[in-house]
Amino acid sequence: MPDKAVSYDELIPGYKFPPATYELSASFVSKYLKAVGSTGAGFVPPLAITACAIAAMTKSVPLPPDTIAIHASQELEFFKLVPIGATIECHIGVAQKIARGKMNMLILEIEVFDKGEEKVQSGRATIALPA
Amino acid sequence: MLTEIQEGKALSPVVKHITQEKINLYAEASGDFNPIHVDESFAAKTPFGGTIAHGMLNLAYVSEMMTSAFGQGWLSGGKLRAKFKESARPGDTLTVSGKIDCIDIKDDVSYANCNFECRNQKGQTIVAGEAIVKLSSDRK
Repeated sequence: MPDKAVSYDELIPGYKFPPATYELSASFVSKYLKAVGSTGAGFVPPLAITACAIAAMTKSVPLPPDTIAIHASQELEFFKLVPIGATIECHIGVAQKIARGKMNMLILEIEVFDKGEEKVQSGRATIALPA
Repeated sequence: MLTEIQEGKALSPVVKHITQEKINLYAEASGDFNPIHVDESFAAKTPFGGTIAHGMLNLAYVSEMMTSAFGQGWLSGGKLRAKFKESARPGDTLTVSGKIDCIDIKDDVSYANCNFECRNQKGQTIVAGEAIVKLSSDRK
C-alpha cells in the first residue's frame, strides 16, 4: 500500500502514485464475491482487481472532510486472468486534470501487473471533485 | 455462455437489488469507505440526499453479464468504456442489459462489439457504455 499521502494540488499531469502491491487472497476474493452477489470460478474477477487499483489511489489522496468524489467514467481492458492468491502491482498516474465550472475532473491512468510483470489490465478512470 | 454469437443478439440480463448492506460489504471488500457510500447521516446532508452505491459495484454487474455471455473471451480479452450517469441507491433494483451491435474482423481475429446499460426500476440509466470482446477464431 502507498504510505505517502499527496495533496490534491500535487496531482498534476504526469504525477505517478507510488505503486501499490496487493495479495489477492481467498478471503479477499470471497468478500468481493459476496459484495457483488456473484459466485466464484477459481480466479479473481477482473473488477475486483480494478477495485484494488482504485482503492490504492483513493487512499493516497486525502480529500478534505465532507468532500464528495464521484466516479464519472471508467475505461478498462483485461489482458489475462489472475489466480486466487496471486500478487498484483497497481500503477496509477495522472493523465489530465480539467477544471470544469465548479468541478475538477481528474483523469487517471491505471495499469496492473502480475508478479511476472505481465500486464493484467489497464484503464482510465475519471473522478469528479468539487473545485 | 452464448451459444450463438450474431449481430443484434441480446445478452441475458442481470438483475440485482441494491441494499445498504451490499454497499457496506462492497466498501469492506474494496477499501472504499467514502462517506457518501457508507455514512447515512453524512450522505443525507449532501445533494444526493442519501447514500449511493459505488460506481464500481454497478459496473461489476455489467461484467457479470459479459462473463455469462462470453466467458474467457471477456475475462482475458475484454474491453469496456462506461459512463456513470445516475447514482444507484439502497432499495433500487438494477437491470443490466446489452446486445451485440456488430462483429468486426481484424487481422483474422473477430471481435463482438456490444452496448450495455444498467437501469433502475424507474427506467433511469445508471451506467451505459460499450464493450468489445475478442472471440475465439472458431466463432468467426
